[in-house]
Amino acid sequence: MKEIERLKDISKGRDDLEQLLNNTLDIIKACEDLESVTKARISILGKKGTVAGIFKKIPEFPYKDRPLLGEFGNLLKKVAEQELDSKEKQIRAAIREKKLAGLAIDVTLPGRGKPLGRRHILNMTIREIVSIFLSLGYRVIHGPEVELDYYNFEALNTPTYHPARSLQDTFYFKRDDPVKDSRDDVLLRTHTSPVQVRVMESTKPPLYVISPGKAYRRDEIDATHSAVFHQVEGFAVDRGITMGDLKGTLEVFAKKLFGEEKSVRFRPHFFPFTEPSAEVDVSCFACDTAGCSLCKGVGWLEIMGCGMIDPNVFSYVGYDPEEYQGFAFGMGVERIAMMKHGIDDMRLFYENDVRFLRQFHV
Amino acid sequence: MKVSIEWLRDYVNFDLEPKKIAEILSMSGTSVERIIEQNVGVSGVVVARVVHLFPHPNTSNLKVAKVDDGERLREIVCGAPNLREGMLTALALPGARIQGFGSPIECASIRGVKSDGMLLSPSELGLSEDASTIAEIAGKVSPGERIENVVPFKDAILELEITPNRPDCMAIVGIAREISALLDVDLKMPVATFEETGPDINNLIAIEIQDKQGCPRYTARAVTDVRILPSPLWMQRRISACGLRPINNVVDITNYILLELGQPLHAFDLQLISGRKIIVRKARYGETITTLDGIERQLDSQTLLIADIEKPIAMAGVMGGENTEVTAATRNVVIESAHFDATSIFLTSKRLGIRTEASSRFERGTDPEGTAYAARRAASLMKQLAQGDIAKGEIDIYSRPWQEREIKLRGKKISVVLGIDIPAEKTRRVLERLGARVEGNDDLMVAAPSYRGDLEREIDLIEEIARIYGYDKIEDTLPPGGGIASGITRTQILTETLLDTLVAQGLTEVITYSFMRVSDLDIMRVPPEHVLRRIPVLLNPLSEAGEAVRTTLLPGILRVAQINQSRGIRSLALFEKGRVFYLDGESSVINEKDSLCIFLSGNVAPPSWIEEDRQCDFFDMKGLIENSFEFIGVRDLRFEKGSFPWLLEGRSASVLVGSREIGYAGQILPEIGESFDLDGEIYVAEMLIDWLADMPGETVQYRDVGRFPGVKLDIAILIDKSIEAGRVLSAILDSGAKHLRNVRLFDVYEGERIPEGKKSLAFSLEFASVRRTLTEDEAFLEVKKIIRVLQEKFGAVLRGKTPGAGENL
Ligand SMILES: [Zn+2]
Repeated sequence: MKEIERLKDISKGRDDLEQLLNNTLDIIKACEDLESVTKARISILGKKGTVAGIFKKIPEFPYKDRPLLGEFGNLLKKVAEQELDSKEKQIRAAIREKKLAGLAIDVTLPGRGKPLGRRHILNMTIREIVSIFLSLGYRVIHGPEVELDYYNFEALNTPTYHPARSLQDTFYFKRDDPVKDSRDDVLLRTHTSPVQVRVMESTKPPLYVISPGKAYRRDEIDATHSAVFHQVEGFAVDRGITMGDLKGTLEVFAKKLFGEEKSVRFRPHFFPFTEPSAEVDVSCFACDTAGCSLCKGVGWLEIMGCGMIDPNVFSYVGYDPEEYQGFAFGMGVERIAMMKHGIDDMRLFYENDVRFLRQFHV
Repeated sequence: MKVSIEWLRDYVNFDLEPKKIAEILSMSGTSVERIIEQNVGVSGVVVARVVHLFPHPNTSNLKVAKVDDGERLREIVCGAPNLREGMLTALALPGARIQGFGSPIECASIRGVKSDGMLLSPSELGLSEDASTIAEIAGKVSPGERIENVVPFKDAILELEITPNRPDCMAIVGIAREISALLDVDLKMPVATFEETGPDINNLIAIEIQDKQGCPRYTARAVTDVRILPSPLWMQRRISACGLRPINNVVDITNYILLELGQPLHAFDLQLISGRKIIVRKARYGETITTLDGIERQLDSQTLLIADIEKPIAMAGVMGGENTEVTAATRNVVIESAHFDATSIFLTSKRLGIRTEASSRFERGTDPEGTAYAARRAASLMKQLAQGDIAKGEIDIYSRPWQEREIKLRGKKISVVLGIDIPAEKTRRVLERLGARVEGNDDLMVAAPSYRGDLEREIDLIEEIARIYGYDKIEDTLPPGGGIASGITRTQILTETLLDTLVAQGLTEVITYSFMRVSDLDIMRVPPEHVLRRIPVLLNPLSEAGEAVRTTLLPGILRVAQINQSRGIRSLALFEKGRVFYLDGESSVINEKDSLCIFLSGNVAPPSWIEEDRQCDFFDMKGLIENSFEFIGVRDLRFEKGSFPWLLEGRSASVLVGSREIGYAGQILPEIGESFDLDGEIYVAEMLIDWLADMPGETVQYRDVGRFPGVKLDIAILIDKSIEAGRVLSAILDSGAKHLRNVRLFDVYEGERIPEGKKSLAFSLEFASVRRTLTEDEAFLEVKKIIRVLQEKFGAVLRGKTPGAGENL
């Protein structure tokens, strides 16, 4: 600050001025709050203050000294104002800071309000599966859980004594009136596939349908079996649909669901209502086809069954198998959720311990 | 089914690791579940003949055998019951190494007699589980031969899953045929040639088929003067490896052929067949048979039977009878090689709950053309291994001969279905390797073999071609699609959104079994004629807990709550959406509807550092139902005082949408809670949501909400305690007051400061206009109208003064 230098220059050798300057600066320096700044301002710049005192005293000095004293007084006033303003600013800033510091909270304390709930992991899994097929142009159609033998077996090319029926043990309903025709037997559907027949019966192709829901088998409940379980059924019927389309569709699906890095393979299999039929495997999550305990050394995990819709099924619903072709697939939701999340006991899904359910998220 | 790779190589040549052949089979539809590597390391074990037996001088439990090891005689101590002079067995020489034994076999002194080696049991040789006898070696083997040359110790067993349409694959030869097609190599069928040296079969046995439907073909062969012995070790090993137990040479041969060709055979002791006649007929009421497993079985008139003139001697296709079993005493044998009706065997096996190697093959359909060949093969092995004489001729009653079918296979159809072109030459070759007869060039005429009953149509052949050619060679494409209605319906959106809003309000979704026990409704005090009693009952439930399908979700969700409470989680907010099922009135039609059940107990929120704990109550339940339905656009949701047997009277409400009662909400009766081992106040609601499908699909039309500030006025009234607040609110809304934008009930008070039997309700009323700012005076006029209505309707008395209302009131 050149004003300070000049003041020091002027007061050099003059003890009275030097003392005046130092006192003034010391007073300002010693201010700690706004009150002391105001006091200092009055004592330095006020009517009876230091600066006024200098000007009052000028006439008592010889002429030659008067301009220098005048300059000293003016400069001192300027410097004091500046110093006081800056001091005041400093103090105000400190006060503000202190005030804000008092508002500080512990942001790591828990948030207010009650936590959100959860959809059941099986329904979250269904939603994930369905959304992939929605993006491929499928629509969602639900079917009844109580079914007629006709839709559950016969129209799916599984006649009464077909060996496939020995694979599925079925819950039947008691009824008072005896059934004349076994096709009218009422049962809990053993798979979601009857939806295929119901939809085809009432709708003309093209059809691209996905149908999630519960299915039932007379299995004793244990870690890997459940009398109630969930499936997602899907099928497409159109002109010119080929087995290549089936493979392409399910490859897209499996990679979206399990990860693009997974490999997918189609293994020939048997289902009464598709031909050719296949089971779909994805490369094992743990070992990527090398073979480990998760995949029982196979290197692959089975995720679903599929195939080209058997012409016999078309003949039940009145489609011309020379005009239309189609494919169908079905997967177990529990199995997929278990694979994805490493769940080792199917009963956990139905026990509904909220701590189990709440650990999953979208 | 288990298949030995060593055995497979008898019929088809391949040089692939077990893992590789397993993968090839799996990728063609014969799924390999497991590969069991067998590799019993043996050295220093030779074939030896027992020349002499002496009693052990110091114990009666052991014997001393003098055996010939091909070079010299050795003295061996052994206690096996089947030890006899002249037999060939396996001898571990001193220094021999056998896998499973820690150290080499040494000369040891047993009860004072030095044993110069050790005779081995089938178990020690890794052939079967039999550890109590010593291995018997049959066939043309000389002492001194190394045991590795007699029995293959290195093998891999494939455990296969055979799909129900492929009975032909329940045989080693069937799997070999698959490999022959997959690797495009030749299949060698086992030989069955022999000289017939015995008497004419017709002098030994007669066959009569009474049930031609159940038994379309019956082939019999007879072998006389057999020597019942253990079968050779290689045969024992193969049978054991495939999961059967070696018994004696004759029985083992029938099992061997069952495994090899998939044709179940049965051997009867000819001497024990009364009247020298076999009759195939249905069982008669009251007949019984003791089967080979020692169980006496009651037969019914559905069961197909093999009988002699006096008694049942076998359950056809399932299991033989003890009374004609081949034993050590048997001299003459009748071999049965029949074709039984698959359905008949399937039903018998299901009805009686017995599944055997034979029945599991017959029920899927055996080869009708294969019976005579299998009988010949059995006879030739019996001659070879049991030194029998094969009777002249065979009896073959073939009442319904198999007809060859010709199937047209269009070359173009193959590519239309699979989406790829396969060379015609490849197609033909695949079908021929699988045993079909093929004619033509582009479009083919294909005759499927008799063992492939599953090949009936063009599509069946296309599958075969795709399967053998390889699914992996089919190029991935996407279907044409496009231009079709897709997505989810409005009802599906409403339902999912409804559930998501419940989640947003803190509720966790549960899924319970769809079953119910009828007694749950008794616990819930549901009266006899109630709609919840229209329960569809199952014919074949797994347990009492699952005797019916549910008419209500409530018991299920209460049990979930109980599990959680028992684990210390007392504050619960749960919901389930699921189907409920009702019998439709008089008829037996079962209706199913989507229902939504909600459960609340304990604190509204977990204990918090900032908020007071609060127990949930009825109004939490009501509020979240209101929120959720409002969110999906349900307008006229109402709660009315209702009465439900399982709810606390006075804390229960009917839930209505318009005039439709959709369900209930309220506090559950404490006694009912206790019956489910639950304590504390529990609030439940259950509502049908099937009506969401009928909700009109309206699009909201914009309404001007106004820019001008409104006038807010509070009033408090005194009315009789019994008057429901909801009625007062409706009356205010219906009062005709102009500009009334919002009414909010903000205080309810009963107590000291007001008269007995009265309550005070305080409302905040907001008046506003969309066109201008209302004056307070205008609002006062409308409030006056409202108060007048309340006075008239309910005898309401205004409490205190409405601010600014002045003397006018
Ligand atoms: Zn793995």
